[in-house]
Amino acid sequence: MARHCGVMAAPLARRAADGARRVCSAAAQRPWKLFGAMCLLRLPRITQPLEKEEEEVAALMEQIELEKSHYSDHEIRKLEEEEQLRRKKESLYDEDEARGKTVIMAQDLEEKWEQKFLHFKAAPRITEADKSNDRKSLSRKLDSNLMLLVKQKIGNQDLWLLPQVEWQPGETLRSTAERAMAMFLGDHVQAKVLGNAPYGIYKYKFPRAIRTENNVGAKVFFFKAYLQSSDVPQTELKADYLWVTKKELGDYLKLEYLKKVNRFLLDL
Amino acid sequence: MMAAVPKVLCSEKGVLLRQVFALSRFLSHDLVSYRAATARENRLCAAGDAFLGCHRSYRSRPTHGIGRFKYLLPKEVPKRKKEKVQMKEISTGTEYQYGDINIQMTSYDLCLVEHFAQYVHRLCNRLSIRVNESYAMPTKTNEVLFLEERGSKMQLDAVLTTHQRVIQIRGLSSTFAPILLEVIQSNQPEGVHLLMKQHTEADFKSRLKSRPELEELLAEIS
Repeated sequence: MARHCGVMAAPLARRAADGARRVCSAAAQRPWKLFGAMCLLRLPRITQPLEKEEEEVAALMEQIELEKSHYSDHEIRKLEEEEQLRRKKESLYDEDEARGKTVIMAQDLEEKWEQKFLHFKAAPRITEADKSNDRKSLSRKLDSNLMLLVKQKIGNQDLWLLPQVEWQPGETLRSTAERAMAMFLGDHVQAKVLGNAPYGIYKYKFPRAIRTENNVGAKVFFFKAYLQSSDVPQTELKADYLWVTKKELGDYLKLEYLKKVNRFLLDL
Repeated sequence: MMAAVPKVLCSEKGVLLRQVFALSRFLSHDLVSYRAATARENRLCAAGDAFLGCHRSYRSRPTHGIGRFKYLLPKEVPKRKKEKVQMKEISTGTEYQYGDINIQMTSYDLCLVEHFAQYVHRLCNRLSIRVNESYAMPTKTNEVLFLEERGSKMQLDAVLTTHQRVIQIRGLSSTFAPILLEVIQSNQPEGVHLLMKQHTEADFKSRLKSRPELEELLAEIS
């Protein structure tokens, strides 16, 4: 056991995970099975819509700013040209005519910009995946974090979990989590793991029937990663996978597990 | 006897005091008259009470130089104009720490990036992360020209200004760094680019202006 500790300490070059060291010593006293799980997050693409009060405040502030602000160059030019037009209509001013014809009027510029704006089409905020509630697609809730859940067989039960895989002696817990991710999503998934320290831990004891002296229970260490690429190729090995938000986790995870997972999930 | 002595002392003292008072009164009267003669606007002095308002300490007054304290402080070394090179902390120990980290926020919108920089600064203060510096890089102005080729070549101009704010942090522990990054990222507004990188000398030098004449002279000498 001490030998294993030594081998594990070497790869933890500059940033040590205290959790891993503690686990190493605990394993010597009470053997737990170790798992590394990966919480893969797809970052939000658009901002969340404003609340009613926020919108009201924003509108009020904009109005205040508009009323307090000075005229911009364009607006001054526009006002001057309107003045000139008005004077031309009332009494014929020939001196300004020659100048006025060669220069583009500010009003024309504005109309041109309006036309351009009308041509522009923004992408929809609520995609079709939202409407159909397709939980397998990545383009669902664009304004919140999406997490990967897979169905795994633990013991003799099929449970929805964050992808996890057992720790092999001689590798860091972070690489275990990366291996779990690679197992479910393929090797070439572009994810950026945040830090070497685990974000959370969930430990449970096996039911009395299976429990032995050397096999009390299991500890699952959670790591977080951000999905860099916008789309994951559909080469998922296990068929049952889902991308869910934090609120929808309750539909799938068990209560104790959910409590531990919710502790490290940041959902603003 | 005992009773008599104190009386004597008292009386003496009284006499002394009275004498002093009279003397001071005499002096102040002088002062008052002098001041009244020179400055008619000084109503306070002319009001009747001789001591109101005439608290200027002359060199003859015992309170002259009462507010002096600079001579008590240690001598200040005159500041050199030359900028010193920055220091960097090397990560050691079990609690691994990053050295100087720059959080750079760039955007086209000035108010947005400034408010975001303020938010990040306050967040670091609240989380007791030491903020070394918080500065702004000079704004870059870009002119966007459209060349439309429909008969007559027209050029539509748009002027874009890019603003950058930098916050320098020291002593971020490696266990906390990903959490901070996550919090900042989830609060990032639209249109603001975020970049966290280690502080290097090149970053420091980019803030300083280059002096071409000085460089020319140096090149001529060497």
